[in-house]
Formats: sequence, structure tokens, C-alpha cells
Amino acid sequence: MHIPDGYLSPQTCAVMYGATVPFWVVAGRRVRKVVKNRYVPLLALGAAYCFLVMMFNVPIPDGTTAHAVGGVLVAVLLGPWAAVIAVSTALLIQAFFFGDGGVLAYGANCVNMAIVMPFVGYAVYRALARGTSLTSARRPLAAGFGAYVGINAAALCAAVEFGLQPDLFYKTSASGAKVPLYAPFHLSQTVPTMLLAHLLVAGVVDLVLTAGVVAYLQRANLPVLRINHDAVPETDADLPAPRKIGLRGALIGMVGTLLLVPLGLLASGTAFGEDGPRDLDLEKYGLRAVPAGLSKYSDWWSHSLLPGYDFKDGDHPSVGYYASALVGTILIAAVVIGSFKLAHALRRRDDAPDAPDALDEDRGAAVEQPAAAR
Amino acid sequence: MTTRTVPSGRVAPDWLVQSEVGLCPCGCIGKRKKGSFLAKTLDGASHLLRQAMSSEDVAGQPGLLQRLDARVKLVTLVGLLVVAAFVRTIPVLIGVYALTIVLAWASRLSIAFFVKRVWLFVPIFTGIVVLPATLNLITPGTIVVPLGTWFGHQLGVTSEGLHGAAIIVMRVAVSISLVVLLTLTTPWNRLLAGLRALFVPKMFVLVLGMAYRYLFYLLGSVSDMYTARKSRTVRTDTEVASGRRFVAASAGALFGKAHAMSEEVYLAMVSRGYNGDTRTLRPARLSGLDGLWVAACLGLGLLVIGCDRAFG
Repeated sequence: MHIPDGYLSPQTCAVMYGATVPFWVVAGRRVRKVVKNRYVPLLALGAAYCFLVMMFNVPIPDGTTAHAVGGVLVAVLLGPWAAVIAVSTALLIQAFFFGDGGVLAYGANCVNMAIVMPFVGYAVYRALARGTSLTSARRPLAAGFGAYVGINAAALCAAVEFGLQPDLFYKTSASGAKVPLYAPFHLSQTVPTMLLAHLLVAGVVDLVLTAGVVAYLQRANLPVLRINHDAVPETDADLPAPRKIGLRGALIGMVGTLLLVPLGLLASGTAFGEDGPRDLDLEKYGLRAVPAGLSKYSDWWSHSLLPGYDFKDGDHPSVGYYASALVGTILIAAVVIGSFKLAHALRRRDDAPDAPDALDEDRGAAVEQPAAAR
Repeated sequence: MTTRTVPSGRVAPDWLVQSEVGLCPCGCIGKRKKGSFLAKTLDGASHLLRQAMSSEDVAGQPGLLQRLDARVKLVTLVGLLVVAAFVRTIPVLIGVYALTIVLAWASRLSIAFFVKRVWLFVPIFTGIVVLPATLNLITPGTIVVPLGTWFGHQLGVTSEGLHGAAIIVMRVAVSISLVVLLTLTTPWNRLLAGLRALFVPKMFVLVLGMAYRYLFYLLGSVSDMYTARKSRTVRTDTEVASGRRFVAASAGALFGKAHAMSEEVYLAMVSRGYNGDTRTLRPARLSGLDGLWVAACLGLGLLVIGCDRAFG
């Protein structure tokens, strides 16, 4: 994914450099605040580590090997802001010293691999690992999946940067056709190509490596995992009791959704595949008559209460729409509440005598433990 | 950051600098084997070391570019890189490429190595990537090499596609040559000092310098782990699943080592009086040659842009 010089126009490169500068400034400040003077050796070793992780060949089936990028791994281990600096440094050493990635394209490479990749990947990791302990089996999977999403987001950015070139930067030849000056492929070609390669191979390699490293550190070197997870409880027993979503919160959410009902009135036309036989544009599909089965079955149920989300006479379409929303909501609520009641009644009949006591004991223990741990 | 005197003679032993015939990186000699991940990572590690040592050797040779100040060289060569990125005609790009060869010769670089380093990489990567873009499906225009029909549409290579492909291949070649000139003729610590001239913050330069230093320390750890594993492996092909576990474990162990090292380095820095201030090498004074070089580069840049506009 390292873009060499010559593929991107200097204008694109300038924009990309401009986009990275604020991230570097903020990253520098934040890292310095968190680890104080220790940040220089920590970031230096982090960058060296990041450089070497890109060298690790991961064996994949079929006997071939592929190398990982590791941006999300560094974000999980050191935090996303430290990852911005560590990956940027590794990319600079690669660009200047080993000719991997261009010098003018360095800004673009940083946007893709040092900013988009760690932040997107880390967000996915945080979302999936939320509420788990440090040694939970869900963390390696969350980190691996974060790496998978992160590398694909980075590949998408690179594909967009490539794909914009032929439409923005070209010269006209003698015959009046466009001659591309930089990367010649269009968005419709770069996005599928890049994503296919990363969804199938590169993403999987990063997933395997990231998940493997986090799982290894859980087993062998938990203190190192603590660098970026100082407030996370170590085992599942130390976790605070999960907060229940209150009935009030749920009600607020549902009423809010109900208030958005008028948005549906703004939609025009019909959705594909939902039009009746009389709305069908036969010529468009090369047909001369409505297919027999369609005309036979399309109208066999004609007893609906509110046909087309409206009253039968169709005089007041807006009122009909609101009424449909209300009726629909009440019906769905009735079905959901009814099935819950049914399930509850069935369960109570199964283990009737001591179930309530055990439940109370569990809850009491879960609330008490974190206080004791502190 | 420590100052290091640039060795005048060659320091890397020959056996390290020369790559073995069977290990040709492009796979052009002999059949390409699906090597094991162990061999590949070890090869990568030794290749990295080889590249670093041989470029330190070249940087120590007395040549034209080696005599220039690192800051001046960095700014002017990056400037030429920008100029080359704006050029849109092939003859001018060829001219600039010829000039980089002259500079390589004047800096006592091996011309064969210099040309090979560019033209081994460009046709394999850029060439293959750009090849489909010469078809009229991607770059429409006048078809010069018809390739028959495809679903009733004419298919062929267009002159516009060829033209665009030639531009991008030449531009990539020129860009790589300029960066190779810069990195091969400048010792790493001078290059770092030069980065300060491009308004890179001190702290970033310090991190960069230390990262480069400890890169080779960690590389030693990786080599050790992989050599140990290889010496314990009897079969030629290793299992994929156990191999993956080993790679993940070694990457995890490496992070543990890197972190322990960073703590030790920090304590060593503090015991030597580090208080959070960063210092870099004091830049050397500019010489007359540097001024001459800047003037030449400015003139060249204007000439290239002028020629480019004149050609169309």
C-alpha cells in the first residue's frame, strides 16, 4: 500500500501533507502529556517495532506468505495517538532509506496508514472489546477485526487518491482524447481492485497477526498490555456489573423514532420491486404484457386495513400515514410484549421454586466485588 | 544523538554486501520457490542490513554530492522531485533522468547499480500496474494496436494510453533516482540534521534518530529468534498453523523486548542528565560549493519547467 512517487499529482501530495500536519501536532502534544519525558524512547522503540512488524512474513494457506502492516496493532498496544507518530516515523525511514513509498507521496501514505488505519481500527477494537476484561477471549478477536477493518479503510483511501488522478490531472492529445498524467485508473477500477486484494489477503494477514500478538501478550506479558489499558480490570470477575438499559431510555429512543415519521412523506416514487402491475414500465424490461402469475397473485389479498399506508378512500394521505405509523407501532409493541410474557411464563413454569433467590444472590455478589477489589 | 565520523574506506565486508546468486531478489535467476516464512523473514533482515551498510559505504566516498551540505542537498533534491512531478512531457523527463545518471557518476556511485536499482523495480511494479491502462477500456482514444473485439466492442491499445503509461513510468524512474541519489550520498545522521532545515520539529528528529538506531538492535533480536526456530526445524515446509502461532508469538515477544529496552534507554538518558530537552547536531557551515549547487539547481528547475511548457 506504500504509494511511490509519480503516481499522485504534486497538488494531491500537498493536500495530503496539509491534512497530516494537525494530526502530528495534536499527537505530539497528547503523547507528551500522557507519558511525560518517557515519550522519546517509547515512541522511538515503537517506531522501530512498527518498521519491523511490516517485515514479518505471515504464512498463509497455499504455501505463500504475505507481510502485515501492523498499524492497528501499534494503536492497540500504545494508543492511537502514539501510533500516529510511530507509524509516521517508520514510514519516513522506509521512504528515505529503503525506497519503500515516495518522498512526495509520504503525506498520502501517512494519511492512509498512520492516521486512517490506526484510528478506524482502534475505534472498531474499542467498540467490540467494550466491557470485557483485559484477559477476556474477546479482546484478541476485537483487535484482529479492528486490524481487518482498519487496513481496508486505508486501502479504500489509497484507492480514492489513485482514482481521482485521471479525472483531475490530464492533458489533451492531438485527437482531443485525454492523456492521464499520473495514476491512469478511474475510481470505478481502483476501488474494487484495492478492496478485493485487501478484503481477501492483506486484511486477513493483519487480522491473524494482530489477534495472535494480543493473545500472546495476554498469556505471556500482561504488564505490556497495560500500557494502553491501565483502567481495564484484569479478569472477568473484576468487571463491574453491567448497567441495565432502563425502561426510560428505551422509551425515549422509541418516541424519538416515532417523531421522525414525517420523513417518510418526503420520499417519492416507489422502491424497486415493489410496484404493482399497473405501474410496471413494460417497455423498459422488454415485455409486451404483464406476466400471468404476477397479475393473478398481485391482488389476491385485498382486505388490508390501511392499503398503501393510507385510508381506503385516500382523501387525507398525511393523516392516513400517521395513523398507519401509530397502528403499526401498537401492533408491533403488542406482539413483542406478548411474546416476552409468554417466554417468561414458560420459563417460570420450568424452574419455579428457587430461581428468584439465586438471581438476587448473583446480583449482590457482582455489585460488591469491584468495591472489594479497590 | 552521537556524532560518528564518516569512514573514508569501505567498512562492510564483501560477503555481506554481495547478494548471493541464488537469492536474486527479482527471482530472475533460477526457479522461484515458495520459500518458507522463516527464510523470507531472515532474508528480509539480512537484506535490510546489507542495504544499510552498503549505503553507509557509498556515503563515505569522496564525490560531488557527498561534499554538499545535507540540508542543501535535501532541499534541492526534494525541489527537483517537485519539479519532476509537474513535468508532463516525455523528452524532458528523459533529459532529467539522464542528468541523474550524470550526478550518480560524479558522486562515484556504480552506474550499473544505480540504473539497475531503478529499472529492476519500475518495470515489475509500475509497468505491470500501468499496462492494462493502455487499453481503450480504461484510456479511450485512437487505437494503434487493435486486439480484436470484446462483447462487440473494439479492443486495443490506444496512443493516449501508451503516452500516459510512458509518462508515469518515466516519472517514477526519475523520482526514485533522485531519492536514491539523496540517500546513498548522505550518512543517516547528516540526513537527520538536514531534516531540521525542513521545519521538522526537534522532538520528531530525535525520535527518528533513536528509532533508526534501535531498529538494528531489534533486527538482531528478530534474526536470533528466527535463526533459532530455523535450526530447530527439520522439515522443509513448516505447518501453516504452527507457523502463524510462532510469528504472532515472536512479534509479541519483540514488543515486550522493545518496551523493556525503551525503559532502559530512558533510565540511561536520565542518568546522563536528560531533562526533556532535545538537542540535535549543530549544522556545519555552508561552503561556496553549496551556493553554486543551489544556483545550478534553481537554474535547472526553471529550465526544465520552461522546456516542458515549450514542448507542450
